[in-house]
Amino acid sequence: MIGYVSVGLLGLLSLSIPVGIVLFLLGFGIDTFFSNFPLTRGLGNMVWSSSNSATLIAIPFFVLLGEILVRSGVATKTYAALDRWVSWLPGGLVHANIATATMFSATSGSSVATAATVATVAMPQAEKLGYDPKLFSGAIAAGGTLGIMIPPSINLIVYGFLTQSSIPQLFLAGLIPGLALAIGFMAITVIICLIRPDLGGTRRTFPFAKMLRALIDLVPILILFGAIVGSIYGGWATPTEAAAVGVAGSLVIALVFGGVSLSMLTQSLTGTVKITSMIMLIVIGASFLNFTLASAGLGRELTEFMTGLGLTPLKTILVVVVLYIVLGFFIETLSLMVVTIPIIVPLVVAQGFDVVWFGILMIVLIEMALITPPVGLNLYVVQGARKSGSLNEVMLGALPYCLTMLTMAFLLIAFPSIALFLPNALQ
Amino acid sequence: MELKMIHKLRVINKWVALVVGAGLLLCAGFVLADIIMRQIGTSFGGTEEIAGYAMALATSWGMSFTLLELGHVRIDLLRSRADSFKRALFDVFSMIVMSGVIVTIAIKAWPVLERSIMNGSRANTPLETPLVWVQLPWFAGWVWFAVMTTLTTLAALSLLMKRRHSETENFVGAFAEQETLQ
Repeated sequence: MIGYVSVGLLGLLSLSIPVGIVLFLLGFGIDTFFSNFPLTRGLGNMVWSSSNSATLIAIPFFVLLGEILVRSGVATKTYAALDRWVSWLPGGLVHANIATATMFSATSGSSVATAATVATVAMPQAEKLGYDPKLFSGAIAAGGTLGIMIPPSINLIVYGFLTQSSIPQLFLAGLIPGLALAIGFMAITVIICLIRPDLGGTRRTFPFAKMLRALIDLVPILILFGAIVGSIYGGWATPTEAAAVGVAGSLVIALVFGGVSLSMLTQSLTGTVKITSMIMLIVIGASFLNFTLASAGLGRELTEFMTGLGLTPLKTILVVVVLYIVLGFFIETLSLMVVTIPIIVPLVVAQGFDVVWFGILMIVLIEMALITPPVGLNLYVVQGARKSGSLNEVMLGALPYCLTMLTMAFLLIAFPSIALFLPNALQ
Repeated sequence: MELKMIHKLRVINKWVALVVGAGLLLCAGFVLADIIMRQIGTSFGGTEEIAGYAMALATSWGMSFTLLELGHVRIDLLRSRADSFKRALFDVFSMIVMSGVIVTIAIKAWPVLERSIMNGSRANTPLETPLVWVQLPWFAGWVWFAVMTTLTTLAALSLLMKRRHSETENFVGAFAEQETLQ
């Protein structure tokens, strides 16, 4: 059954059938070949119960929040403000790219939207100020991946939903690794630019008064982030309710910055519907596949499979890491996460690993998938916003950040408390 | 003719998406109002339940818009290497498979609604919502999606048979993420 699912998955995906549909097909196959009960009879109920969910409505709310912020011009102001604060470092504006991406990750839930936003705002600056296009665009692609790690994260909501683990705990667990990655990205930029100063463009310092004034543009985003995360951990709102607070907050910010118009609002709403349905077709398909796999006795087969291999828990995790890196070359983030959860998570948990910890490790690994060619969504998004140059430049520029992520993955394996410290401390 | 029909479907589904989006915004407002009321000691009650229904409806009715905007994720590793004719074959094949699956879902969704009608089922919650009220529009959404995928498939198939395969890319091609996010 494991072999059937793996081969079927890769075969059907390579025929370019939509990912969500592939998951349903695999479920039908399991029903036909491996189950004694007619599982497809439960299809209607599965589709109803997996979409009738007060947890999952957090997804459209967070998408809408991001759409409103992105389309209201707040990003441009944030970028300019962060430029004043971080451009004195070796690497100059590259740090503003990473910092803006980090801040938007904190409020929006989507990596691609974050990368697209920063790329559109930043790219015109690169040529003007003489930056190396490779490092500059690579940093945007990499910085944008933080969107799925730093809470609120849509991917963590989906992970929590499919593995039935606590979403607030996952959010808490993602905070430190997310910030550590952002700092890691900036550190590697400084190192590269100290070795090769010509890559980093001009460093700029601003008078302190100007820096203080720029702070005003950052405050709204920081307050919004504080309100979302604070209301979850203050215990007076669920992640879904916090997301609703976020939508209201983003509207207020957009109003204050003067970016609200009818066309911006309709674009945000239709954009939200598009992304939500895209995610939900995959999530419903995965729920159905999950259900058929569990009913057909995947758990028992997996345990036998693992005992047969005789791997230690550590070796299992290393195999899983290699698997994600290889699959990450070909499959994009959310799909990669959702198609592997039904098999990999039970396997890892059976070896005694923490399900929240593994969620965070998985996020780091699928973040890498966003910037590894040939299928790396963020690479294309950044390239799409560039007016010249080849895709290869973006890929090369993203490489150092890929290595930073790999380091982070191994640190998480060596020191699980990087992720688990906060959720344990606040329990 | 095919392209005209696709254009019409796009216009209609854009309006559907707008209504769905407005519904989601309304639901966010409702959830927010409930949080505020809780702070002063009262509550609407049942926001969780209503949010769940909103999600189920948004999902079933939003699918067709995503379909026509090429939003459903596909892995186009092999497809992108093929020429225009083979790409159209990939696209039409994947649309036929997709229509088959979505029509199956729509058919299997009927018994869920049928049972609620027969038993006069109500939700097992304080609101005791008659499930027909939400499951009927939910079911209609999946039927709508099944009709949309079938019409899109037929349009692509018909163009393919007329050897106008280069024109199918525009409505059944692989997703174009970077353009839509700008």
